[in-house]
Amino acid sequence: MDRINKIRNFCIVAHIDHGKSTLADRLIEKTGTLAKRDMQEQLLDSMELEREKGITIKLTPTKMNYTLDGETYELNLIDTPGHVDFTYEVSRSLAACEGAILIVDASQGVEAQTLANAYLAIDNNLEILPVINKIDLPSARPEEVKKEVEDVVGIPAMHAPCISAKEGTNIEDVLKMIVKEFPSPKGDENGKLKALIFDSYYDNFKGAICLVRIFDGTLKVGDKVKMMQTGKIYDVTEVGVFVPNEKPVDVLRAGDVGYLAGSIKTISDVAVGDTITKVDNPITEALPGYKEVQPVVFCGIFPVDGARYNDLKDGLEKLKLNDASLQFQPEVSQALGFGFRCGFLGLLHLEIITERLEREFDLDIITTAPSVFYHVYKTNGEMIELSNPSSLPNPVEIDYIEEPMVKASVFAPPNYVGAIMDLCQEKRGIYKDLTYLDENRVRLNYTLPLGEIIYDFFDSLKSRTKGYASFDYEMAGYERSDLVKVDILLNGEKCDALSIIVFKDKAYARGRVLTEKLKKIIPRQLFEVPVQAAIGGKVIARETIKAMRKDVLAKCYGGDVTRKRKLLEKQKEGKKRMRKVGSVEIPSEAFMSILKLDDGE
Amino acid sequence: MLGVYVHIPFCDGKCSYCGFSSFVKTDDEKERYINSLVEEIKEFAGEKKREIDSIYIGGGTPSILPINLICKLFEALKENFKWKDGLEFTIEANPCSLDEEKLSFYKKNGVNRISLGVQSLDENQLKFIGRRHSSIEAIDAVKLAKKYFDNVSCDLLIGLKDMDENAFLAQINTLAELGITHISAYMLQVEEGTRLHRLVEKNKHLLPTDDDCVDVYEKMTDKLAILGFSQYEISNFAKQGYESYHNFKYWTGQEYVGFGLGAHSYLNGKRIANDTTFSGYYDRIHTIEAINDQQRLEEHIMLGLRCKAGISKIVMKTLGYDITTNSNLVEFVEKGILNQQGDIITLNPDYYGVSNYIIVKLLPE
Repeated sequence: MDRINKIRNFCIVAHIDHGKSTLADRLIEKTGTLAKRDMQEQLLDSMELEREKGITIKLTPTKMNYTLDGETYELNLIDTPGHVDFTYEVSRSLAACEGAILIVDASQGVEAQTLANAYLAIDNNLEILPVINKIDLPSARPEEVKKEVEDVVGIPAMHAPCISAKEGTNIEDVLKMIVKEFPSPKGDENGKLKALIFDSYYDNFKGAICLVRIFDGTLKVGDKVKMMQTGKIYDVTEVGVFVPNEKPVDVLRAGDVGYLAGSIKTISDVAVGDTITKVDNPITEALPGYKEVQPVVFCGIFPVDGARYNDLKDGLEKLKLNDASLQFQPEVSQALGFGFRCGFLGLLHLEIITERLEREFDLDIITTAPSVFYHVYKTNGEMIELSNPSSLPNPVEIDYIEEPMVKASVFAPPNYVGAIMDLCQEKRGIYKDLTYLDENRVRLNYTLPLGEIIYDFFDSLKSRTKGYASFDYEMAGYERSDLVKVDILLNGEKCDALSIIVFKDKAYARGRVLTEKLKKIIPRQLFEVPVQAAIGGKVIARETIKAMRKDVLAKCYGGDVTRKRKLLEKQKEGKKRMRKVGSVEIPSEAFMSILKLDDGE
Repeated sequence: MLGVYVHIPFCDGKCSYCGFSSFVKTDDEKERYINSLVEEIKEFAGEKKREIDSIYIGGGTPSILPINLICKLFEALKENFKWKDGLEFTIEANPCSLDEEKLSFYKKNGVNRISLGVQSLDENQLKFIGRRHSSIEAIDAVKLAKKYFDNVSCDLLIGLKDMDENAFLAQINTLAELGITHISAYMLQVEEGTRLHRLVEKNKHLLPTDDDCVDVYEKMTDKLAILGFSQYEISNFAKQGYESYHNFKYWTGQEYVGFGLGAHSYLNGKRIANDTTFSGYYDRIHTIEAINDQQRLEEHIMLGLRCKAGISKIVMKTLGYDITTNSNLVEFVEKGILNQQGDIITLNPDYYGVSNYIIVKLLPE
């Protein structure tokens, strides 16, 4: 049999927490790719944070050998990130495969991302094989879930393997299915080189590494290759495969999945979705589907201790090495000093980056309220794009503003439809349709402003549906909207880091909640501090922080001055976490607290 | 010159707010303690008798000691130190354990100042904090003390349950009429691990608010001024010439030696803290902390600003800190929060209630 006919390139897609990484681990274990003792739970999630959050952020492919009926097959598993923030990365890794395993939780059934990911796979012309996981759970209902897959996703599922990845039940069925049902790659190894970059990461010694799928031709050390989108040219210094660690090989051929290194200095030079060809014998047409990834959520990040600005810069640069989608540029805030305006693929991405900055670089940071990218049309005909509320021009200069919209699907049991509709209504959603998937599940489609989703939508959805709803969205262009900037004034002085852009009809309510919240968080000062919310020059809400009356150390018993001094030193430490805006001291938590305004307030 | 502090960790019961080293013990145990105390004094003095100008016997409740035991202590202090003329000798007492016999004995042995733990003259408040005396007993004790001593100080607590401004000021009046010469008025501090702390945890509104406490504190200050008591420290008020000399040593970084369980000393730039358990004390377990210039500076600012005496720019400079470089100083002086007169900076008494906030701002960055 031909070499290429014994290759299977596939990925696993699923809703979050349906067991993708666990199945990947079992496949690696069953094929003997790693001895059991070398296995670490959920091996492919290599980042500490990934394992902790139970999600995959960076892709890690693995080459496995599996023998069936005397023939040894090469199975390339391309793991995919399981979150809506990373949809583009998922779509590129799907493009590197011929088949996709669609895992569905035997008790939860089809969820928002089950469907979103299945459609992504269908869009990429992949063969999709459903697998019903977690049959060990007492609440498992595999037969019903199979029917749900057929009805909702619209693919045959009656012969889907029913497995427990956790307990290793029926894993062999999955392996057999991969060999029998997934097509082998098509491609001509004698043709011109055509390879897809589906991911990249940074290695301190080798530089940026491209994860590639070869469609046609061959790739070996010494080749001069060209990235078709960026136009950059590199000499290949190493090619290899993942087993699952990097292992150099002599050559990668059509159908193979592997990596290439070529002394590529920065990760930004490697665009995921780009096509690689050879300089001396190039193809003319790149692979389809390339898209520049654009961040959609933005916020300011500042060091709590202003002296650590350079450490923060260093941290962001190091994270950027491995994450081309992270964007940042210097920003100066009157209140927070020097920091960075950062762009992310979504809220989860934002959360991951801030957590990594704090953990891996030991930084205390202040994050300002997340914002989206607005299109501001000025009366002079000019259009400016901005995400930072404090850069919004004077209201008289603004003709109108457009905000980004998303198409959102919410999946939930029917008894929560009312609650979800209320929430979407509050979030300025426009109802599209409602579909009964079966008697236990409905799908609601809405168009919503992205700016509403990044403000407290996930938490509200979870709390109002007792965690039963799942949610997915995709960007859906810009729409004109009536937006205003709400400023916060402390003791009459504007605090730029607390400004927000909101829908006009909500400005009063938000202003009131914000001032109440700040009153609770900002400690009393030597003098009375008015806290005001204002649109332009007009105050829309006001609270007053009364002057501090009592801050006095207790008596020192029997000459125990040391105890008193230590109390003082502790207090002095606490002061370091304060930011001064005009004459008012604000604890750094205040800036973050406005990100989340509790439901009840 | 050196001052001496002696700690008597015995009480006839535990007050609800007390987070300090005090225990209810039998007479035998008290005797063992006094013997150990006498040994500790001897060990410290060695051959050479150092001159001292203040003695403060605090507690706990020193007046709870029977005469035979207090006598041993007095003798040890006499034998091992050279008493300077005019030495200030204070003993703390509570209203229950004071009687004429003890008072006359104290006087005979050189005590010249009595500090009475009155705390309140309101029956309910006294019960609430677990004092074992009534307000009548407290007033009688003041009268009795005054019969033997000119210099009598009373401790009062601000911020007790059901505090009432007028009632509080009336107490001050009553005490002043009895002829006391000194008042220490502290704001009640709820310390963790105390009975009071547990009560407050259960009922957040049990005690008056901070604002109410400061209101009463300020009214009290005004009242005391009218009555002829001047405020020489945040919590301490005295008729002219009756300021406590011993306390002043703590606040101005002078040397003192502390004997007994949990007592502190400040000698040769080191602060020594005796263990706070009986067994630890008997084994002479203690911790030593060398106070460096930075800490000395912090203490100078922290304690000095709480006193009428203020802080000295020159002293701070010798400790490596030019306070004029502190940006907050200018702001506070402009706003009248601090007064600057030559070398000395003092805190405007109107801001004593928030002194800690100001102090933290004046520390070196």
